[in-house]
Amino acid sequence: MAQYLPVLALLILAALFAAVSFAASKLLAPRNPTVEKYAPYECGIIPGREPPGRFPVRFYLVAMLFVIFDVEIIFLYPWAVANERLGLFGLVAILIFSATVFESLVYLISKGALDWGPLQISRRQDLTPVDDDTDLDGIRSGRRTTATTIRRVGTTGRFEEGAAA
Amino acid sequence: MLSRSASLTNGHFFNAVLAAGDPYLGDGSVDLGDVILAIAKAIIAFVVLLVAVMLMVWFERKVVSRLQNRIGPNVAGPFGILQTLADGIKLFFKEDIIPTRADRFVFQLAPYLALVPAFLTFTIIPIAGDFSDGQNGAVTIFGRETFVQVADLPVGILFFLAMSSLAVYGIMLAGWSSGSKYPLLGSVRASAQAISYEAALGLSLASVLLVAGSLSTNEIVQAQAGEGFGGIIPRWNLIVTGLIPFVVFVISGTAELNRPPFDFVEAEQELVGGFHTEYSSIRFSLFFLAEFMNTVTMSAIIVTLFLGGPAGPNFGFLPGWLWGFVWFFLKLLIFLFMFVWFRATLPRLRYDQLMDLGWKVLIPLSLAWLLLLAAIRQARNGVWEYGGSAFNSTLLALAIGTGLTVIGVGLLGLAIRSARDERLRAAGLVAVAGVSDSGLEGED
Repeated sequence: MAQYLPVLALLILAALFAAVSFAASKLLAPRNPTVEKYAPYECGIIPGREPPGRFPVRFYLVAMLFVIFDVEIIFLYPWAVANERLGLFGLVAILIFSATVFESLVYLISKGALDWGPLQISRRQDLTPVDDDTDLDGIRSGRRTTATTIRRVGTTGRFEEGAAA
Repeated sequence: MLSRSASLTNGHFFNAVLAAGDPYLGDGSVDLGDVILAIAKAIIAFVVLLVAVMLMVWFERKVVSRLQNRIGPNVAGPFGILQTLADGIKLFFKEDIIPTRADRFVFQLAPYLALVPAFLTFTIIPIAGDFSDGQNGAVTIFGRETFVQVADLPVGILFFLAMSSLAVYGIMLAGWSSGSKYPLLGSVRASAQAISYEAALGLSLASVLLVAGSLSTNEIVQAQAGEGFGGIIPRWNLIVTGLIPFVVFVISGTAELNRPPFDFVEAEQELVGGFHTEYSSIRFSLFFLAEFMNTVTMSAIIVTLFLGGPAGPNFGFLPGWLWGFVWFFLKLLIFLFMFVWFRATLPRLRYDQLMDLGWKVLIPLSLAWLLLLAAIRQARNGVWEYGGSAFNSTLLALAIGTGLTVIGVGLLGLAIRSARDERLRAAGLVAVAGVSDSGLEGED
């Protein structure tokens, strides 16, 4: 572990640097609090609603996928370092392993777990609306509106209008 | 490098991997002199990093203004070179605001979590040393043999990945603890982006490990310092790994740094200032410092992994280790300029384009390239044989690799189409197969 000695020294130095900066700022900076200044910044508008406590589930999905793929990568490193020593056996083993992980990526993509943006509809493809309510012209042409591109998530779990006041 | 390690038995190999590291700390005993040298190295690295960041901020502002037909900072010091220092001192005298809705403890902790990993990543970078003629780049100071880098960790590259993951905590917690909506949105975006691109970053890195056969940065540089192809073209990993890992690494490195065109963290039109909207005074400047430090360090990592770091010819008349620094610095400048150039030239992507690029292009591409590279290297070096010669077995590896790639691309395309169709159905639209160009072309 002796190799980590300079790393430890730099870690202490960096933390000290930040601490000393904060202390210096405390001594040098003026303190002049007003209610407006200490409110959340919203470009001058008085903040009406709490920041959302819930997030699109996609972000959690990405976090979970990251765990899968990061473990795969860490698993690949020892093999990559010793590739030629492990020979054909190692190569085939890692091929099977990668195929499994790749298959799970394909599955996730096919389930739409990694779709983020608005639905892109190619002009070449003829589309038939299932019911008459769908605004096909709006989607197909350049006259796209928020109604056609933004998926509404609803107000479930949000604060009721007027309840926060 | 490879012929040497290939002749070792497995037991020796793993001992060799574990024994990698700075020679002065490698002999099992640590005396007072070693500790002093370690601390001295840390202090020098600390000062060098701060000065480098100061110059980097100035360099970026100056180059961007030139690219935009402006003059840029030119008042503080010659060519405005002290502008960053002036800004830093000014920020000490600004009021430090902790918003009332903020979580005070985490709000104050977050700058440390951003700054400390930024400092620590730099420890694994060899910045000088003589690597010509098979030397290992060691210099002798006060009778102690050492590398010109803060620490040569046996797990060097893993340490880099660990630190870049840790830096995400700083961003995430800064946004979460602010108690305001724009920082929160910015930080969630930033974390999703950073972890998405970390996968592509790690996979492209694996190709370098495959070629160098080590995780230690010093040995990765040594592996690139050998006799070049045809005596002229250097044996850099850029060429040895076949360019694709380099390109993937630069793209995902830019995304990892949250720099343009991937700077969604600070997309000011959408999110005000991103995760540090609520930060002011010196707290803000520490985030800023960490960001630019990461840019410098990432450029240095690219140079180390793909362009041979300080390895280069020794023309004499200067001490050998100084030539290493000259080469390192010149290569570093290329990438620093590249990052600034990106910022001046490329418009910001859309968030879904960013996620698509990472997950659907870069990750499969770098995984496929890694496996292909491994198979070809095994075939060429005679680990297994088919058809009597290394050439034939390479051909076989290429053929199987191409076949598997075609299957993989086909599967990916199928998956993307099926996801699209599913969304069309959900949107109340059904794709009718087989009908195309039905008069919609000339509509606008």
